[in-house]
Amino acid sequence: MTTAAPSSPATSGEPLSTIRVAGLSVRHRRTLALDSVDLDFGPGVHGLLGPNGAGKTSLIRVLATVAAPTDGRVELLGDDVRDHRRRAAVRRRLGYLPQEFGYYPGFTVREFVAYVAWLKEMPAADTPAAVERAVARVGLADRVDAKVKTLSGGMVRRVGIAQAIVNDPDVLLFDEPTAGLDPEQRVEFRELLRELGTSSTVIVSTHLVEDVAAACTEVTLIESGHVAYRGTPESLTALGEAAGGVGDNPIERGYTAALRTHRASPAPALAVEGTAR
Amino acid sequence: MSAPTLRHDRALAAGLLLYARSRTVPRALVVLLATAGLAVWAAHSLNAHIDPDRRVPVVALAPLFAAAVIGSSLHTASDELDRTAVRPWWRLRALHLLALTGLAAALLPVAVLGHTSVFGPPAMIRNTLGGTGLTAAAATLVGARLSWLPAFGYVSAVYLGAAGARGGASGVWAWPVQPEGGTASWATALVVFLGGGALYVARGARAEGPRS
Repeated sequence: MTTAAPSSPATSGEPLSTIRVAGLSVRHRRTLALDSVDLDFGPGVHGLLGPNGAGKTSLIRVLATVAAPTDGRVELLGDDVRDHRRRAAVRRRLGYLPQEFGYYPGFTVREFVAYVAWLKEMPAADTPAAVERAVARVGLADRVDAKVKTLSGGMVRRVGIAQAIVNDPDVLLFDEPTAGLDPEQRVEFRELLRELGTSSTVIVSTHLVEDVAAACTEVTLIESGHVAYRGTPESLTALGEAAGGVGDNPIERGYTAALRTHRASPAPALAVEGTAR
Repeated sequence: MSAPTLRHDRALAAGLLLYARSRTVPRALVVLLATAGLAVWAAHSLNAHIDPDRRVPVVALAPLFAAAVIGSSLHTASDELDRTAVRPWWRLRALHLLALTGLAAALLPVAVLGHTSVFGPPAMIRNTLGGTGLTAAAATLVGARLSWLPAFGYVSAVYLGAAGARGGASGVWAWPVQPEGGTASWATALVVFLGGGALYVARGARAEGPRS
């Protein structure tokens, strides 16, 4: 699995890969969600595509340090996250938007984001300004003192994005961030993604292939616990044109073509799926 | 106190308040106060001076109810976000559990003041500790929302089936209905409290929500 060096932000002296994953396996009871996956990511916006149940959420949860891998090595910002002290250091520089997150009862937007900042041990003096800034970046400045439960689904999602970026993280993990956003909000969110990707490593799991085409510098396609394709939105589009995938726009054709190519190729790992490593 | 320390303390207080609100601790406090009030009222209307055993329902059920309230307050609305915290959870969990248990153990004995010998304040405190240990363990193993259920089942069974059991091994398994003084019932309640409390402080409530 080779990773193209991120084109824009990697300057000399900066490590090319902020996330390194080797031999990562995740097992939920009897099913293998991820099967010995090797991946690395550098600064930029990375789209994570794949069918339902492919292992996208499992990968993001392991990278967010909220779930432990069954096997394999995960290195974030140069630190092995198995060591709990290093994990704490990593978490200070990490932002995570879960696919679903309940909200604390009776909290306002400001309190919600401030509480997450407090849990991440951000310096107290910087917190109020950081909260204001994060809430403004997701376009909720006028609702900062509204109760979260009074907001619409799209606004709650933006509150989730605000809590993920409040600590200006170096690694940002978004699981289905555009679900529930209207088209205009999605356009604004892509703009925010591009902005975040200039300095941070951003991983976005999504079903909306257009989001990837518009905002991502790299694409990773996951299918039944394996990496099916890695490349850029452009190379995926080109693959779709060449291989004649099914879809209504070029990148969709690339997505289906890559999936079918992966499914058609002999996958030795599938044969040994039953044997736990 | 210097300005940075003061600011640090204020931020800590503000953060702890948000933590308490995230676990609906304010609501738990109100319900605990109401429970204590109800226990006082119930104990006085029982005419327990005629027969101290009449206090058994209050001494068995009021701590059980308090323990259920404490167990439910261990629920988090966003386990997934809680897990991203840098701040060590065990301190917050221990503070939460000890503060509420301490409050309940201080309030409930008021209902049975003046009767130290049989089903008095020591029995009330013992049952509060034991009951909270049970709900804390249950919150870790089955989740905070249903944490009251195992404790409720156990104490009800003992109360209905063995309210008169005294001495010997019954001091261990029928600890919630022992009148007083028995070291066996105290030892059991303390072991349950320390064990259940330690389990909760170490592991936290079992995840409940869309991902579990």
